[in-house]
Amino acid sequence: MARIDFKDVTKRYAGDVVAVKGLNLEIRDKEFVVLLGPSGCGKSTTLNMIAGLEEVTEGELWFDDQIVNALPPHRRDVAMVFQSYALYPHKSVYENIAFGLRMRNIASGEIDHRVRNAAAKLEIGHLLKRRPSQLSGGQRQRVALGRAMVRQPAVFLMDEPLSNLDAALRISMRAEIKHLHTAMRTTFVYVTHDQAEALTLADRIIVMNDGVIQQIGTPDEIYEHPRNSFVASFLGNPPINYLAGAIETVDGRPAFRRGDMRVILPPSIAARLAEHGSRDVMLGIRPEDVLAHGLRAGGPTLTGVVDSVLPVGSDRFLGLKVEGCDVFVRVDKQTLHREGESVTLGLVPERLHLFDKPSGTSLLADSAR
Amino acid sequence: MKAAALPVASARSVQHYRAPSRLGRVARGALLAIAAILFLAYILAPMAWLVSSSFQSEHEIVSKPPHWLPHEPTLENFAAIFAAPDQSVTYETRRATDPASGGFIPSTAKNLLPAIGNSMIVASAVVLLNLLVGVPAAYAMAKIRFRGRQVSIYGILATRVIPDIALVVPFFLFIRNLGLLDNLWSLIITYLAITIPFSVFILISYFESLPDDLDKAARVDGCSRWQTLTKVYLPLSLPSVVAVVLFSFLSSWNEFLLALMFTQTPKSQTLPIVVASFTSDFTISFSFINAAGVLAIIPPVVLALLFERYIVSGLTAGAVKG
Repeated sequence: MARIDFKDVTKRYAGDVVAVKGLNLEIRDKEFVVLLGPSGCGKSTTLNMIAGLEEVTEGELWFDDQIVNALPPHRRDVAMVFQSYALYPHKSVYENIAFGLRMRNIASGEIDHRVRNAAAKLEIGHLLKRRPSQLSGGQRQRVALGRAMVRQPAVFLMDEPLSNLDAALRISMRAEIKHLHTAMRTTFVYVTHDQAEALTLADRIIVMNDGVIQQIGTPDEIYEHPRNSFVASFLGNPPINYLAGAIETVDGRPAFRRGDMRVILPPSIAARLAEHGSRDVMLGIRPEDVLAHGLRAGGPTLTGVVDSVLPVGSDRFLGLKVEGCDVFVRVDKQTLHREGESVTLGLVPERLHLFDKPSGTSLLADSAR
Repeated sequence: MKAAALPVASARSVQHYRAPSRLGRVARGALLAIAAILFLAYILAPMAWLVSSSFQSEHEIVSKPPHWLPHEPTLENFAAIFAAPDQSVTYETRRATDPASGGFIPSTAKNLLPAIGNSMIVASAVVLLNLLVGVPAAYAMAKIRFRGRQVSIYGILATRVIPDIALVVPFFLFIRNLGLLDNLWSLIITYLAITIPFSVFILISYFESLPDDLDKAARVDGCSRWQTLTKVYLPLSLPSVVAVVLFSFLSSWNEFLLALMFTQTPKSQTLPIVVASFTSDFTISFSFINAAGVLAIIPPVVLALLFERYIVSGLTAGAVKG
């Protein structure tokens, strides 16, 4: 059990490369936190600082009521799972799992009990005598999980643990990791660049870019109310569409305009807009937030020419040309469209996103959060 | 019918990747075998002659054409080596035995067995200290990021650009001022200076080829830096450790120049010095020298056989990744 607290932490590598800038973050006890961001955003560095594998250049890192800046990894009660699994090639599966316990001088009877227990839970009991080189990727991943589990650590760290697995295995392992968290009742910090993993696993997601936290929130908050265009683009597959345009007033109500396209903004958005006074904006439309049927009279619409039709089994994606912009939307299978056809789709006003164009900050998120 | 409209490739433009004919395969195999035999002969012929001639009498060695297999094999040369400590040869007694009849003993022959002992002590100490210093140094430089890391690596390597002969005088002054002339420590210290940079270099390349995540995993699992090295990296780097053992052993075993400078009496003379002294005696006995040569190559050969399965991977370890 541990609460982790970053207070104004900066990590600078030799050559003055700043990996993490002024990080302030509190990870609660027993929480499942996912650090999400593109490669090089500082998420792995943050994780390594928790493990003690990277030194904190500036600021303080707290575990509960203790500053741990100078505490070496073997004195911290953390376990870690690596993307490359990092199993010891010269040790058997059993010895791999037992190694951390042996290093802590735990009685061999207890070690045996814990190793076999973890192996049974992970369904690798029959592999204990093998060497890592004789295992498949999925089995290796389980051994790596087992090695961390038996330690019963205060903090469980995972650095892209599923990235080397194939797609089907990745999804089933996600569920297992979720179960593991429920069973272990301990703090989990999980690093990934896969937004789907983050959305499924996290209690809270921390989106990072260029060493700076972009947004902290529950998966729903992050997805529904992105604070800036970076967060909005990073979550969602296919990604959110942007239409650059301007705000103008139509019949006394604010509207988004691009070329011939006008979207009258609902009053909720209009009220917020007044605070900002921004004119140069980007309208964000998530692919799933369009209506092919049941257009509301007078509601906002999106009109474009069908550029491509991509069936994906469960539904269908349409590539549209809207006022010279490519827009990608999801429609159901029943809606049949042909390339070259002009279509009009309804927009859900409450689900539109609006960003200030120069800065990329959302004009809708609670300001100054 | 549509197919007819397609352009037909002319017969000449088509390349066939057929398996080579039977004759071609046989010819290729034969050529490779001949090349291999020639190469082996080039490498092994001197060795074969050394061993063969050590079993020949002086008379037989100089016969024309030479006998690759001794016609009258004799152990007299070896007997002479082991008999040497009991006999002292002086100018007066120098003709007591005739070189041509075998069993000839050079005046410095009694130094041979102590010299083998000295060489063994020096080489073993150099191997041991190489591992003791080289392994931790290489681990630190390969896996720990610290300021000045690159500079230290290049610094260590740069010392090896200087030819040994340029170092002889400074080394000599250094050893003399330490009062270590004619002492085995003079050899151990200078051989370390020569071998450790290479050892560190071989080990750095190997450690760097092992994933960093292993280092992280071990440390999170509860290992200190030292335990990470001994429990995880060392067992995984046996091939390169063996390469270091062989390299430092052979360098010390064969070294001549520095040993010639620093050793003056049989107390500290090593094998190469004593064997070389046989050529500047009253008479030169090739059969005796060759028998001594055979004794000299036994320890390295035994060492190589012992570590045979690690040698190839260890020696190439540093080669691929520089």
